[in-house]
Amino acid sequence: MNFTIRAATKVDCKDISRMIMELALFEKMTDQVKISSEELERDGFCPNPLFECLVAEVPKENKSKEAVSLHVPLGFTTVGYGLYFYTYSTWKGRSMYLEDLYVMPEFRGFGIGKGLLSTVAKCKALFVQVAKEKHCARLQLSVLDWNAPSRDFYATRGAQDLTVKEGWHLIRFDGQSLDDLGNDAQKK
Amino acid sequence: MEYNLRKAEPKDVPDILRLVKELAKYEEMEHQVTLTEQELLEDGFGDTPFYHCIIAEIPGGGASQDSKVVGFAMYYFTYDPWVGKQLYMEEFYVMDDFRGLGIGSEILRRLSDLAVKTRCTGMMFVVAENNEVSIQYYKRRGAEDLSQEEGWRLYRFDKSSLVKMATPTEV
Repeated sequence: MNFTIRAATKVDCKDISRMIMELALFEKMTDQVKISSEELERDGFCPNPLFECLVAEVPKENKSKEAVSLHVPLGFTTVGYGLYFYTYSTWKGRSMYLEDLYVMPEFRGFGIGKGLLSTVAKCKALFVQVAKEKHCARLQLSVLDWNAPSRDFYATRGAQDLTVKEGWHLIRFDGQSLDDLGNDAQKK
Repeated sequence: MEYNLRKAEPKDVPDILRLVKELAKYEEMEHQVTLTEQELLEDGFGDTPFYHCIIAEIPGGGASQDSKVVGFAMYYFTYDPWVGKQLYMEEFYVMDDFRGLGIGSEILRRLSDLAVKTRCTGMMFVVAENNEVSIQYYKRRGAEDLSQEEGWRLYRFDKSSLVKMATPTEV
């Protein structure tokens, strides 16, 4: 299967939004998806974008034939994406976080996921630092514990499970708890 | 003891690195800190800051006594494609001798207030699972442990595996 990987543009946001929902469906968390393609356009393609994205495309003759969910029509040529942003390590400096990596089920097994991941790894900011030797660049991501195929995909490429190995847990304040925590600041 | 919180300035970079190394020493990982003052300066106070810092300082006693930086939080903005902009707290540390004064709580409150004001829908960070005191502190204030409650595991690729992935292999 021929495919190309390129940087996403604003017009790709509808496809990216569709695939975000497909990934959420796989992760059994569609009720948690609150934003749409308009917000993705605003947040990813403004003067100071909050994220960067790669998309994988196949030629028209290989467009999608299988429905991922009941509400999604067929015939897509944008079949995968990788969404990432820059982070910072107090030990190593500039790093990256791969927030989403997804390939539509029908298009798996052709190296598209691997292609997206190595394109992220080759990303200029990381690559320049890696080649310089003085930085040790990092790429971090999160995987659900029951998602064995994905955990294997990353582990065989050298990623370490820091939750198991070092006991790191991801913590979040949101909604009311974030408001409450912040409102205490007003009282001071 | 009086203290004040403020946004970090370029002149704070030596203190930020000092505190980073103190925390790393406490974790017995001081040798892993390879970041330099120059990099902290370029990365935090250049055209595109990669991080932001809140500093806690104890004011100086007079003409002969400078103020002292005793704590900090480093944060940056991340993105959750489901709910949008997030504030990520990368580092949060108060020097041992200055704990118990409410500095840590106030830093957390300021960050949360900033998160809401900058259109973030959440504030995220990591905690070591054996740090029961901290985990309970956050849970009492309504935080969710996403690793425990939803099964998320943090994965990392280090330098050698990144180089391997980035280097095209012969077919």
